[in-house]
Order: sequence, then structure tokens, then C-alpha cells
Amino acid sequence: MIMVNKIDIKNILDLTANKLNSLEFDDFAITANRGNRSQLRFADSQITIAKNWASLELGVFAAKDSKTVAMEIQDLSENSIISALESLEKLAKSLPPNQNYFGISDGPFSYPTIEYLADTDFVEFHDQSIDQVEGAINAADAEGAKRSAGVLAWEVKEEHLLSSKGASVSENSTSYEFSIRSFIDETSSGADVEVGRLFSKVDFERAGTRAGEIAKMAIGGTNGDPGKYNLLLEPRVAADVVAATPGAANPFMVDIGMSWLKDKIGEPIGPELVSVYDDALLPNGLGSKSFDDEGHPTGRNVIVEKGILKGFIHNTSTAKKAGTTSTGNAGLVLPQNSNVFFEPGEHTFEELLELTKGKPTLYITNNWYTRFTSYADGIFSSIPRDGMFIIENGEISKPVRELRISDTMGNVFKNVIALGKEIKQIKSWEVNVPTFIPHVLIEDINISAATK
Amino acid sequence: MPSSSYDLAEKAIEEGEKLGAQYIEARYVNSLMNTSILKNGVPELGAITRSNGIGIRVLKDGGVGFASFNEMTKEEMSIAVAFATKMAEATGKRRSKKIVFSDEKIHEVKFEALGESGKRPFEVDPEDKINRLMGVDKLLAELKTNAVIPFRFFQMLDETEKKYIITNEGAKIESEIDRLQLFGIIVAVNPTTGSKEQIMIQKGKTGGLESLDYWKIEDFVTKEVTKLSKIVTEAKDAPTGVIDYVVGPNVIGIMCHENTGHPTEGDRILGREGAQAGESYLKEDMIGQQIGSEHVTIIDDPTLEGSYGYYLYDDEGVKAGPRYLHNKGIFEEMLHNRESAAWMGTNSTAAARAIGFNREPIPRMANTYLAPGTFEYEELFEDIKLGVFMNNFTEWNIDDRRYQSKYVGLEAYLIENGEIKHMVRRPVIETTTPKLWGSVDAVAKEKYLEFDAATCGKGDPMQGAPVYHGGSFMRIRNVEVR
Repeated sequence: MIMVNKIDIKNILDLTANKLNSLEFDDFAITANRGNRSQLRFADSQITIAKNWASLELGVFAAKDSKTVAMEIQDLSENSIISALESLEKLAKSLPPNQNYFGISDGPFSYPTIEYLADTDFVEFHDQSIDQVEGAINAADAEGAKRSAGVLAWEVKEEHLLSSKGASVSENSTSYEFSIRSFIDETSSGADVEVGRLFSKVDFERAGTRAGEIAKMAIGGTNGDPGKYNLLLEPRVAADVVAATPGAANPFMVDIGMSWLKDKIGEPIGPELVSVYDDALLPNGLGSKSFDDEGHPTGRNVIVEKGILKGFIHNTSTAKKAGTTSTGNAGLVLPQNSNVFFEPGEHTFEELLELTKGKPTLYITNNWYTRFTSYADGIFSSIPRDGMFIIENGEISKPVRELRISDTMGNVFKNVIALGKEIKQIKSWEVNVPTFIPHVLIEDINISAATK
Repeated sequence: MPSSSYDLAEKAIEEGEKLGAQYIEARYVNSLMNTSILKNGVPELGAITRSNGIGIRVLKDGGVGFASFNEMTKEEMSIAVAFATKMAEATGKRRSKKIVFSDEKIHEVKFEALGESGKRPFEVDPEDKINRLMGVDKLLAELKTNAVIPFRFFQMLDETEKKYIITNEGAKIESEIDRLQLFGIIVAVNPTTGSKEQIMIQKGKTGGLESLDYWKIEDFVTKEVTKLSKIVTEAKDAPTGVIDYVVGPNVIGIMCHENTGHPTEGDRILGREGAQAGESYLKEDMIGQQIGSEHVTIIDDPTLEGSYGYYLYDDEGVKAGPRYLHNKGIFEEMLHNRESAAWMGTNSTAAARAIGFNREPIPRMANTYLAPGTFEYEELFEDIKLGVFMNNFTEWNIDDRRYQSKYVGLEAYLIENGEIKHMVRRPVIETTTPKLWGSVDAVAKEKYLEFDAATCGKGDPMQGAPVYHGGSFMRIRNVEVR
């Protein structure tokens, strides 16, 4: 066993704070995060690489005379930190004032307690990791998969924050993210993800089984026809295209024309059955955290209530500009979502299938490559990936391929007609913000197809 | 502290060999980045990013292990080497098909691509950088057009990256590269209809702040936004049916990148990116097959001087040169690192790139472009009865086999009886890769060749690679537009 002399994080925080004070910054928030992340990647049903990242990063947001600067460094010798902070001060002097800056959150602070942020079984997980991956691959094989690819990543992290306004807080967390995509032939594939913080809840075999099942159902798919369809979306698709709208409830994105929710607060943007929160307090949520990048306590904030857009996520500055208070969503540059949470509906998957009767309906199990013609209008397209199926008479009838969702985010959200009652947490290659969402049924969405 | 970091990298090689690594590489990377963010004329943030660390990759018993660290101590190094070696062995033992790396010539070299003296990123005063950026923004704020420009966002990023790669095979590659990147998003609104149109600007180049002059950035941005305003106020509906297209360098570039660069990546073809960036419609046994017309020669060349994807030796120490992905329409070469090359019994094409010390080197594009042809620009339009000239694009996407793609035009014009007429709004090309390349019947001369910069996403964790893509102008016949 190698004994390691780790750099002392408290020393780094104190050194940084003292230097920022001596450089006469008015406000600052310092973060120091140490993490150990491991990953197993697999393809063709075998592990292709095992990785480990040991990291220690120092982050600083600081303001002097309303000139706002930030720093992220991984070079943490005392000399490097001092030199970087001196460069930061020079940078601050060179900038004009930021008229959008109104300070950082002021204490005293009382932080919420979040259940299940860290799992003490983490260390044992290392030894099980290869077996866990192979278990999922075998489960997919049992459904008929010929090969599977994917990733298992797991992490233990300690985060520390110190601010000029009295915040001094630390938090430990663990997490895992597993994705698998299984193929029966080149174009018959299925995928699933399993993510969370508690290793006792791990069930990667379930994901492997599901990926294999979808792949099997996708055999023999033919090119679909373009037109208007109702869409039944798996949670991982809904987490991208339906959750995009509450994700656009961000004042920074509105300011730069990358949100379709400008001037929409108080207006109906969806049906009454849809309520969405940004919730940093969810047990087992990958975005759960008790403090934001200003040291402000996090919480549960309503974004959409019964279809009405109720508010945006905020840091101190965006909140003051909007005449409201911080929601505890400060990121280093712009407000950041924690977990996006959709209130579940009341339908089983079978009931959702039943509701599709009478309308041409596509069941989409995965998607990727969502891109926008106009963010400000929400005009986008996205490509279904893996098994996609026509639903007829309430039953999944046949696999189809080569179609594209081509519509507006406003329509997608407005046209939701039913939600499943089972919620799944999604974080994937396509979905960066942890999103808790059920199956979603949407009506009248435009589907396009490539010409030959 | 390069010398002590270099020592640490060298000691890692010794330790790996002692632990029985068949192959071990240590890659030390030090990156200094400066970022300026401007939102509607307001300096939202100035930022400094300093990255410094070592990545270790080991091949042992048919498995690969990777570990990185940035607390630059001998203890951290030893842990990283031990982990990479142990995990390579543990995973390799379970593999029925053992991973090997192709044999390649060993090099011991230094190369660099630096900004002009006095213009290197760390030489230019931050105040000069932000003032230049604010000057660009001010031009737009004061621009007189028929449209309203309510949203302007700019981010300028400069970087100096030093890299030292050493392997137990004797490779030793030292490099230093300066880069400059400018990203912008601007939205124009028709004041009468409320209709909106956006443009995303991305410029990138190896070098220093002189790149802004090379791009004539003030003129470029002003012209693009003036055109954006015309699009939102003047453009008419695009024609449908079966028509011809002429597309410009910006559109050719993204097509070369998406429809050819990605599907020729060796690891995708082998399924190694199956759960993330996807696979490929191209297969190993398709080498030599006709994919496009004889006018379609697509090259990826990392060695283009000044290019955003520039390098002379890749991150496995293999010497780079032009790769002919398609040659006169024939699928000729792939983008390989040593692992994908070995699976196919061939040699690396020096495509291994790792974006940061904490990433593994995987096959990537660098600078992908359509080789120029023999046509004058005007000749491309002469016999088109009904068509669209799409000079640049806005939305695009492509499936994960890189087979069916969609490109939506931004600056686009109707072509009628050989003449360019009025602007048309959001024309779409939504077709398959073989249909696209098979329908090209003319490419303009080298004097029209231009490149755009982009950040290419691939890998898990994500690795955003600086790339160039481009071309001159090309004609595509008989595209069905719905």
C-alpha cells in the first residue's frame, strides 16, 4: 500500500482567500474539489479500457469594482496558485465593469440535508465493477444480443467552498453512471442507462436485459414514412426533448437568444398535467447538492406548475436583475440546473399504449443529435436511435427506421397529453442535466425522413 | 515546472516496465487558457484556466489501462502507473480477443506552432483582447439594417499548450502550440413579423492574436450579420421538388466532417464508440468501394500550417500526413490510432488525439476538406434551371451510422436559369451519404478553397477536438426537397 501525501485542501482554500483579500477583491467564492473517478468502457461485449482519474481542482469566482473574473486551475503548487491569482487581478483591472453583476450571496447560511449523497459501500464497488459490466452484457446476450457496447463510471468526490460572504461548507458524494447499447445486427439495436448514487441499488443487468429486448424488437425494421405522429417517448428521449423546455428557463440563455422562453413567465406553455421542478434535494439525484457555486443554499424550485411557466433558475445577479431572489443555482458563469424533476402522471406503460388508439403513433426508445435552426423559436430536429416502433391499436406493431423529429420545442411541451407514473433518472451522453422523468405521450409532432 | 514534470513522466515509464507493462506511455500536458465572455456588449467574465497533469496508458495481457493525476508527486504517479497496469492486466485476462497496438516507426522530435512574436496569447495584454472583442460587438450594436439585433454573445479563448509524450518504445515527442478561438451567436429579428434567424460564428486557428487580423474579424462579422438581417427580412420560401444545389465551403466542410470524416474513423467501424458517438455505415471490407462520384476526393491533413487541427506527430508519436479518406469517390483510407490499425492488420494513420492530459488518445479528424476541382465558380451555376445556392448552414444533424444527414441553409439563394436570384429561407438537404456524394458533378478550383473551424465532439468522457473543415464550391444534382 502506497501512502500518499495529499495536498491539504484547507491550506489551499486559506492561501487563496488570503491572497484574494490582499489583492483587494470585493467578493469571491472559492471551490476546491478532489475526486477519484473510474471507468470501464466496453465494446464488442469486452472491456476495451479501464480508466482512473485522480483530480484536484481549484475554482475561483471573484469581483473587484464590479469587474468579474474566474479561474480554474489544476496546477496547485503554492507558486502556481499565487501566480494565477496575480494574473486574475491583472485581468480584473483590464476589464470594464460588468453591469449585470450585483454581488454574490450573503450569509449567514443554513444548508439543507440531502439523503443518499454518498454511499459507504463505494470502496467495495471497485472489486465488483468488471463482474457488474459482464453481468449486464450477459443479460443482453440472453435476449439475443450479438454484441454490446457501453460505459460504467463511478466516482467519489469531496467538494469545499469558501466565500467572502461567510460561506464555508463541504460535502462528500458518490455516484455511478452505466450505459449499454446492444446490437443484434447492424441496425437492430437497443439501449438503456442506470444512474444514481447508491451502489446498493445498482441493477445493471436490468439495463442489459432492456437493451437486448429493444434490439430484438427492432429486427426487420423498415424505413418509416414522414408525417404527423403522436409520439410515445422513453424517459431517456423525454429527458432530452421534453425536458429541454424547463432547461431553457435560464435567464442567461434568454439574454443571449438561446432560449424560447423569453417573456413567457406566467404564461401557459404546457398542459395542466405537467409540473416541473429544479430540485437539488432529491435523494439519489446526481445533481443533488446542498450549496451552489456562490455558497448559497440550494432548494426545490418550481419551473412549471400545471402547465404555467412560474420562474427561472437564478444566481444572485440574475435574480436581482429580475427582481427576485437567488434559487441557489449559481454556476461559475451562468445559472445551472441541479436535477430537473417532472411530477409523475397516473398511467402505466400499457395504459399509455391504450391512449394512442386512433392516431398514428411512434414509440421512440432513444435519440441523439438534437440541433436547432433557431433557439429563440425552439425550432429543432433530433434523430431517433435504436429501436423505434409503430404503435397500432394500442400495441407495438412493427419496427421502423430512418426518421427524424423535426418540430419546435414549444410544440413538444405544449402537446404533452399523458405522463407515465414511473419516474426514471436519466443522465447520458446526450442528457447532461440529471433528469427525473416518466414515459411521455405527445400529440401531433412533425416527423421527417431523408430522401433517397 | 517542466523539468520535474518531465522527470515524473520518465519515471512512470520505468515503473510501468518494472510492473510488466508491454507498452506504457506518459503524456504530460500543460495548458494555459484565457477566456473573455461578452454578452450584449457587457463583459460578463474574464477567465483563466490552468491545466497541468500526466496521463498514463498501459497495454498488458491484451488489456488497456489508463490513469491520470494532477497532484504532481511521485506517490500519485506510482498509484496511476499501478492502477493502469493492474487494470490492463485484469481486463485483458478476461478478453477473448486481445488488444494489440500496430508497430510504428519511433520518433524523437520537437515541433511547435506559435503565434507571431508579440502576439502570442500570454504576450498580449488582457485589456487589448477585451477591447478588440468589444470593438467587434460595438460594430454590431451600431449596425444599420432592416432587422433588429437583440442578442449578441461572444466568447474568445486563447491557449498555449505544451505537451511531452514519452513511451517505453523510445518515442519522445515534445510540442508547443498556440491556438485562438472565437465563438459567437447572434440573432436577428424581423421587426414586423417577429421572425428570428440565428448565426453561430466559430473561428479557430493555430497561432496567436494575429489570427483576428487574418480573419479580418470586424469585416467578417459585420458582413455575416448584415446578411443575417437580409435573410430575416427579405428571404422567400425555398423551392421544393427535385432540384440542383450549389453549396459553399462552409457547407462542404460540415458534409466532409459528418458524412465522411466520422464514418472513416477506425474505432467507430470496429464498434468501440457504439454506445456514444455511434458506429459507421462503412465497413472494413468496403475499402476500395465507390462511395461518391469521381469529383469527390476528401482529405484529412493534420499538417496544414496554421490550421486549427494542426499537429505533426499524433499523441502516440506517429508521424502525420494527409489521409485520403475518399479518392475520386473511392473509400481509400481510415483514421486510425495504433489500436484500431492493429485490429485491421494495418498501420496507424496518425489520427490518435487526446484532448487533455486526462483523456485517452482515440482516432480523430484534424483538417478535413474536399479537394478542389477544375471548375470556375460561375460555371457551377450555368446550366441549372432550378436550384438553390446554399452558402452556409444553420441546423444540421446525422444519424449515428453517418448515413442519413440533414443540412438547413442559412445564407441561401434561388438559382433560376443559371442565375443567382433572391434569398431563400431555410432550404433543406435531407439525404443519405451515398446519395449526397454520388450526386456531386462539379467542384470549383483551389482559389476558392476556404476552411472553417469547429470543435468536434467524441469519446466518453467527451473530448472536444479542434478541427478545420472546408472546401471550395460544389454542385449536387437532383436533390429531392420536400
